[in-house]
Amino acid sequence: MRLNWRLAAATALAAGLMACGEDEEARIAGLPDSDPFASTYEPYPSGTYTLRGATVLTGTGGKIEDAAITVTGGRIARIGPADEVRPIEGAEVIDVSGKTITPGIIDIHSHLGVYPSPGFASMSDGNESTAPNTAGVWAEHSVWPQDPGFTRALAGGVTALQILPGSANLFGGRSVTLKNVPARTVQDMKFPGAPYGMKMACGENPKRVYGDQGGPSTRMGNFRGYREGWIGAQEYADDWKEYARKREAGEPAEPPTRDLAKETLAAALDGEILVHMHCYRGDEMAQVLDMAEEFGYEVTAFHHGIEAYKVADILAENDVCAAVWSDWWGFKLEAYDAVPANAALVAAQPGGCAIIHSDSALGIQRLNQEAAKAMRDGRAIGLDIRPEQAITWITANPAKAMGILDQTGTVETGKMADLVVWDGDPFSVYSKAERVYIDGALLYDAEDPALSPRTDFEIAQQDNTLLGGAGQ
Amino acid sequence: MKRTLLAAAASCAALSVATLSSAALAQTYAVTNARLLVTGEADDPGMIRGGTVVIEDGVITAIGRDVRVPSSAEIIDAEGRAVTPGLFAALSGVGLEEIGLNREGNDRSARGEGALSASLDAADGFYADSSVIPVSRAGGVTRAYVAPDPGSDLFGGCGMVVDLSGAGDPITERCLAQTVSLGYSGASRAGDSRPAAMARLRRALEDAALYAEDPERYRETYEEGRLPLTDARALAPVLTGEQKLLAEVHGASDIRRVLDLARRYDIDLVLFGATEAYRVAGRIAEQDVPVILFPLANLPDRFEQLGATLNAAAALEEAGVTVAFYDNDIGYTHNVRALPQLAGNAVANGMSYGAALSAITANPAIIWGLSDELGTLAAGKKADLVIWSGDPLELMSAPEAVFIDGERASLENRQTALTRRYRDLQRGDKPFAYRGD
Repeated sequence: MRLNWRLAAATALAAGLMACGEDEEARIAGLPDSDPFASTYEPYPSGTYTLRGATVLTGTGGKIEDAAITVTGGRIARIGPADEVRPIEGAEVIDVSGKTITPGIIDIHSHLGVYPSPGFASMSDGNESTAPNTAGVWAEHSVWPQDPGFTRALAGGVTALQILPGSANLFGGRSVTLKNVPARTVQDMKFPGAPYGMKMACGENPKRVYGDQGGPSTRMGNFRGYREGWIGAQEYADDWKEYARKREAGEPAEPPTRDLAKETLAAALDGEILVHMHCYRGDEMAQVLDMAEEFGYEVTAFHHGIEAYKVADILAENDVCAAVWSDWWGFKLEAYDAVPANAALVAAQPGGCAIIHSDSALGIQRLNQEAAKAMRDGRAIGLDIRPEQAITWITANPAKAMGILDQTGTVETGKMADLVVWDGDPFSVYSKAERVYIDGALLYDAEDPALSPRTDFEIAQQDNTLLGGAGQ
Repeated sequence: MKRTLLAAAASCAALSVATLSSAALAQTYAVTNARLLVTGEADDPGMIRGGTVVIEDGVITAIGRDVRVPSSAEIIDAEGRAVTPGLFAALSGVGLEEIGLNREGNDRSARGEGALSASLDAADGFYADSSVIPVSRAGGVTRAYVAPDPGSDLFGGCGMVVDLSGAGDPITERCLAQTVSLGYSGASRAGDSRPAAMARLRRALEDAALYAEDPERYRETYEEGRLPLTDARALAPVLTGEQKLLAEVHGASDIRRVLDLARRYDIDLVLFGATEAYRVAGRIAEQDVPVILFPLANLPDRFEQLGATLNAAAALEEAGVTVAFYDNDIGYTHNVRALPQLAGNAVANGMSYGAALSAITANPAIIWGLSDELGTLAAGKKADLVIWSGDPLELMSAPEAVFIDGERASLENRQTALTRRYRDLQRGDKPFAYRGD
């Protein structure tokens, strides 16, 4: 059942309000604004140019040697072998021979801005750990756009990222997907048209945090909490549908009292908000999938899926991605059974979707290196993982699980020109992102200090010639 | 018997069997046709191509291009691959931390009872059967300095060097240094300010000096507020030069103060963390103080770390400072196997290859006073070495063979076993729990 309660209500009202737009109808009906903190992101000028001569890992599983990519209006206009791509009249041709171009790196699991540097308690805004269900909080209201971590990530080739609330809670709240473009406000960074995500957490964390604060104190308590949350959301959606029905029938009706948590949960049940589930253990993932079926929603990705390899077949059958680290392990008992071939084993399943995520202000700077290790460890057990596949773990696959694959994540005609030019093999420890383009605009150039952003926090702090670059 | 590495590595099972048999024989080995990265003083660590290493009774007995191979030796043809000294984690929690965030599995630091701090000893908490040991070994780590962390007091206790063979007594050398936290880390533990932490350290050193001078008198005249007897006894070796002081300190101005203190008390100082050490590099080099650095730290986590930069390792090298690497996050314990990645990134940010490789091999041995027996490939040293599938610092490379004290070590661990168990998810005749070991 995939009824969208908000749309259903608006549609039901439309008959009587033909003269009004949908927003106006919604306002009259007392429906909540669907996008009160709307994106004000505007791409910076991109110009028209051709990147010529690089090897391109397309993010679609392909690789093109000696390629040409033409960019205009912030979009990829053409991509193919250099001798087949028709140049654009008058466009600058940038020689990138010997380099590798990949789609912009995408991190599906970041806490930049909500756990920024400096790591002061006064800036620690990632976990609303006051109740196990805080589905009503939105990560964007904690994001500090001046977090220096954003610039470091940019120097690592990250062009888009999902900022999640922490994992203290069963329902942690809404995530926000950002373009990694320095800005004064978080709205100026919000990825236009990206769906919201919602963070949920399995296992140790919620029971640890709430064990002596009224619960849950057990994993079974966790599941009761999730299911009660979903039941409440279903009732809430039904109340709104009933209200819409009455309005349509001309009966007297008062709109239900708004509930921010249930609003988010109801939208997650509708599929409008994507569910990101922090879950280490394979057996718990299987239970979560049963719960998703019980309530008729989908999990877009399991995050920190240390044991994804144990249930990789089940994940693939359910079309759920596994977002994992390449080699982190042992920091919790539920992270004890990690294997370094985890990502490769997930990817090896027919329809398997592997993602390498960071969950770290340092790791996000080197997702290419993490993917390299995961590729190596897959090959070590005989899985033929090629670079053109490994790159999808940090580009197309996170884009898919975040609902933005139609916009970015691959080097394809019509997509946002979010591109990284690497000075060598992106899977070598010695290589660096040399140039990073976001919507076609060159926003980082390792060779040009003028194209290296500096946050307000760091500006003019130390007279130090070694410092100052985005990658510092 | 001549056997190539390639053949031995053809399957996990074959390698495992070969390992068992060779270990049982306590073999003499000759690793031939190797690109020997000897590390240490050498400007060019790749100076020996086509080299041979002879290992007898746990020790390297000959190394070079023209080396006589004993007839009893098992010959391992490296086929031109790189051979390095075993990786040496300069600072870690290996064996003290099986599970990081669960107190049932973590013995890194003591909290609560304030009386004991300097007297804590890593050897008392070391779990020799830790799964971290075989996992790290498979990554080429053969030795680690293991330090207890300061908990609710400035001092962590004394740390030690262990081998990662998983066999016999793992302790190479006990109580090499006393750990102390200064800067913000110290302030958060003692007195809530940097001056308070420094004052407490000075007072503790004064007390330990009194103890060192006359233990009996210290006992007789002991009064409340002084360093407890056990801690004074544990700290005294720092003042007599028998132990080093391993100090966590990040900011340039804090580092200057610690350098002053080391000079005043004639303390053998090692800095770790040391985010802004490169800004004081001249003084650090002049006082001959080594630095254990986390080379990936480039975020201003505190004001004392505003100068955090990926260029720090190269700048320290330039100034002539002895640098070793550690990781202050997941790589502190469970991923010490990622040491080559730290070194590779240092190279990517301007450090020389030789210095970066030495930062994970030779320099930890120098820092911990074990360079006569460990850290480089040289005749007379303990035979800790790794044969790599490719460039040791590259992400796509992995160890193909690891020797510790001259014994060929197993590369098997829980992770390889779990991988085999779940490699094929088809339902079998019996449950997964019956697959493999």
